Amino acid sequence: MPEIVLQANALTKVYKSAERNLVVLDNVSFDVQQGTSIAIIGPSGSGKTTLLGLCAGLDVASSGHVSLMGFKLDKMNEDDRAYLRNQYIGFVFQNFQLLPTLTALENVMVPLELRGERNVASKAKDLLVRVGLAERFSHYPTQLSGGEQQRVAMARAFITSPRVLFADEPTGNLDDENAKQVTELLFEMNRQENTTLILVTHNLELAEKTQRILQMKGGKLVNERILAVL
Amino acid sequence: MIEYFIRIKRNAKPIFRDRWVWQMAWRDGKHNFGRLFLFVASLITGIAGVVAISSLNYSMQNELDRNAKELLGADLVVNSGRPFDTAFLKKIDTAQRQFAQDADMASMVMFMNTRQSRLVKLTALQGDFPFYGDVVTQPANAYALMKTGRYAMLDEALARQYNVSSEDSIKIGNIHFKMAGVVEKFPGGGALTATLAPAVYISLDALDSTGLVQFGSRVNYSLFVKTVSDEDTKVAMETIKPYRDELGYSADDVDERKEELGEGFGSVYRFFSLLAFVALILGCIGVASSVHIYAREKRDEVAVLRCIGSSGWQAFNIYFIQIFVLGIIGSALGAVLGIAIQQVVPIAFGKYLPVELQFGISWRAVAEGVLLGTIISILFSILPLVAVRFVPPLSVLRADFQPGRVFSKTRWAAVILIFLFPVLAAAYQTESFLTGGLFSIGLILALGGLALVAMGLLYIVRKYFPQNSSFVFRHALSNLFRPNNQTQILLVTIGLGAFIIATLNIIQSSLLNQVEFKGNANQSNTILFDIQSHQKDSVVKLIEKYDLPVNQVVPIITCRLSEVKGKPVDQFKRTDADSVRVPNWALTREYRVTYRDSLHLSEEIIKGELHSFKKGKRDSVFVTISEGMHETLRVGVGDSLVFDIQGVPVKAFISGIRKVEWPKDPPNFIFVFPKGVLDDAPQIWVAATRVENQQNAILFQQELVFNYANVSLIDLRLILSTVDELFDKVGLVVRFLALFSIITGLVVLAGAVLNSKFARMKENVLLRTIGARTGQITRITIIEYGYVGIFSAITGLGLSVGAGWLLTKFFFEVQFSVDMLELLIISVSVIALTVFIGWWNSREVISTPPLQVLRKES
Repeated sequence: MPEIVLQANALTKVYKSAERNLVVLDNVSFDVQQGTSIAIIGPSGSGKTTLLGLCAGLDVASSGHVSLMGFKLDKMNEDDRAYLRNQYIGFVFQNFQLLPTLTALENVMVPLELRGERNVASKAKDLLVRVGLAERFSHYPTQLSGGEQQRVAMARAFITSPRVLFADEPTGNLDDENAKQVTELLFEMNRQENTTLILVTHNLELAEKTQRILQMKGGKLVNERILAVL
Repeated sequence: MIEYFIRIKRNAKPIFRDRWVWQMAWRDGKHNFGRLFLFVASLITGIAGVVAISSLNYSMQNELDRNAKELLGADLVVNSGRPFDTAFLKKIDTAQRQFAQDADMASMVMFMNTRQSRLVKLTALQGDFPFYGDVVTQPANAYALMKTGRYAMLDEALARQYNVSSEDSIKIGNIHFKMAGVVEKFPGGGALTATLAPAVYISLDALDSTGLVQFGSRVNYSLFVKTVSDEDTKVAMETIKPYRDELGYSADDVDERKEELGEGFGSVYRFFSLLAFVALILGCIGVASSVHIYAREKRDEVAVLRCIGSSGWQAFNIYFIQIFVLGIIGSALGAVLGIAIQQVVPIAFGKYLPVELQFGISWRAVAEGVLLGTIISILFSILPLVAVRFVPPLSVLRADFQPGRVFSKTRWAAVILIFLFPVLAAAYQTESFLTGGLFSIGLILALGGLALVAMGLLYIVRKYFPQNSSFVFRHALSNLFRPNNQTQILLVTIGLGAFIIATLNIIQSSLLNQVEFKGNANQSNTILFDIQSHQKDSVVKLIEKYDLPVNQVVPIITCRLSEVKGKPVDQFKRTDADSVRVPNWALTREYRVTYRDSLHLSEEIIKGELHSFKKGKRDSVFVTISEGMHETLRVGVGDSLVFDIQGVPVKAFISGIRKVEWPKDPPNFIFVFPKGVLDDAPQIWVAATRVENQQNAILFQQELVFNYANVSLIDLRLILSTVDELFDKVGLVVRFLALFSIITGLVVLAGAVLNSKFARMKENVLLRTIGARTGQITRITIIEYGYVGIFSAITGLGLSVGAGWLLTKFFFEVQFSVDMLELLIISVSVIALTVFIGWWNSREVISTPPLQVLRKES
């Protein structure tokens, strides 16, 4: 039986303010097996991005637990979670989130350099070639198109061979042509690297390319569809 | 289900071993040096001020040390107000020691080429003075020629002013002297002294023949001694000791003269130190402000780094390294600029310094500057940079995510060190912990005051919000208190900048106003002194002959104190505890007193009363004393004093204390006796008049000098113009150095306004998107920053008046003076600059299409 890489157990997130407590995530539980792909869909404000943030260790739940690769995220401090992200997780964001002062190549190299590895340029170049940016090594993010920026972000995400890849609306800021290219690349690399993909999207067409869809509404998990068995 | 928990093993590397943070610091930094311009500019100006002042001070001290003996011209000098006692001269004379003497006094000289006359310091010399250093004259043999008889030498400036050549002669007293030459350099005499009282040199043997030394003449006698060794100097000083008390002799050796000169420039140095301190504090604010902006701009990038695995400390270290390296570079540049300024200062007023400053670099000042700059850049950047450690990675998903405040030991340690820093820096600059503490308390009070005013302003604006005014006005006003407003921080920073600049201005104007004579139309501007009793009536007639007013004719009696509050002066001097409290000079000096039964227009009684003397009724004698001197002598109304008036003891009681405006209508006096007590005592007279017409003044002076050679005349207009010229030059240097503080203040101001840019940017973009016109956004911006500027200026300037008063009264001990016009100019400049910088920052929003800006924002 495939290994469970992510386990969410009764996750609740409440934002407290002076006036009221806002429950954005309410008692959500699910688990994800290694090598599968999963999409989280739902209308705006349904809590899907919050769920992604909690599962990736970007924030901690008000109650409930997240276990990633066997590590209980709520028992770890922020720096330990950062270390965990560097070791096992990759990210692709809607607005690319490249470091503006670094070139495309440098952006891709950063996660490995953070591990203390040396001579990582050749691996980063290979990945950039793989995503079709062989001519863009020394370009800065502002000199790249949206599609190119997202492909750099994907190269950066895959350079550490992550166990889990979190993608937040990866095609949300792209035109149809670029969205198609990025989607194909994302699933192809996911397959080749045997990465677990957790995707947050509004785009049903994109969601249906995954093996499983979790539907959120009002902070609750309201539906689950299995599209393919691993 | 079995729950399992794996503990992660993470190796945190220290900053020097973490290669990645250095790599990232360089990669990121090379694109951001422009953004750190404010940071480097703050450091450069702050450190330049400190290095310039310290370097000037060290150079001066070095020169004083190097030329110590030349400052005196001998190993020691003995001074006396009367000719030296023969027994004393015998006692101090040994076969090995060499001696020289001089006698100097104020006297009139007449330049025969133009028949103009003026008051000079007449120095009569005898012997081979100087024993160290040289008298530089033009021609070279002038000094030797002067010693032969009726020859005189003039200070170079004096000769130039009166166009005196080698063929001319001058009349001193009753005698004509031929010109021997001009003096370019004379040991012990500074150009400052020469400017205020230019000197004429003759031989001591010729002095008697001039007839100038008469009863009441104030002559200072000096005996210069060249000893054989330092030990011998100490022996000679011991020999002089008994004569100090007995005959009022004073003695200086080389060390004492150095110390006196150092003290003389102490006040100026303290002011310069304050300027440097202000520049430094403004630099610190500039550093903190610019790093705060920088850290804020970097928030998104940090969030990404945190996402991909950077620890909080690693993110912090990237920017800390950038600040640290730039801090060292900025400090070094500041030090270089400071050294350059220090080289300029002697050009501007070098001739007024006691020593000639050589071109040189004070490495100690450079090292201090670089060290101080590095400490500042570390200390003041830590607080804003600590925020980087706590940037939540979730910000990459939600840009508006605001995490709760996290407790940080580093933050608290930085806050404590930041509070300690001004105390230590001010204590170091002013060489006093007390002063340093007081400066810092003042600064904290100013900050507290500014914060209170900011809170009060926000409260008032909210409470009395003008609901019915126009949209633009309401929107601008509501910007002041809406969420994420920067009003308080802006008011405090800009207000502090205005406060410091205005305080500096008040101190400067108080110091410069010290010497200005602000008399009314009838006030005397010409004083005639040393008039003998038999000459009094004819001198008055001469004044009247030239249609000049006789404002005052007052008698002067010289005397000394022999008892204070029933205790002989000798005992005061011998009792350590008392001598600490009453300075020796106040007990032993010669006092020139007068008698009258009314107050002069420059005086008012602030305690007690005037008490006239009832002759023949065995009444007690009551005198009044000037304010200030009563504190020095530690006496009050009702206390007794015994005056030794030319051998006759006169017991008097203090009946009142007078406040005296010394520069107003001189002469003024410390002690005033009532009529009927000293009328028959030996006395000389002083007359005061007002001369308006220059031609009349020249003719009057000519006739006076011709007929009454012993009578001297002080032309206050001449002194005023000389002092004005001197202060103009010193003021230039002060303003030049203050400029550095002001530039740093402007950098801080720009930083403070830039800080608010982020909050305003998004709002203005949205307004523009929904249809606000360029004019409306511009007006909103101008009105908003106008409010901030006005309230900052009012608060800063209001506080500066209080601080200026305290500093002038207790630190500089000068009269408080405010130039309202200059304060108004500062206020308007602060407001205009705040509005301008606010508008400048909004131009991007105003001039570009909303979509472009919105995309950029997203």
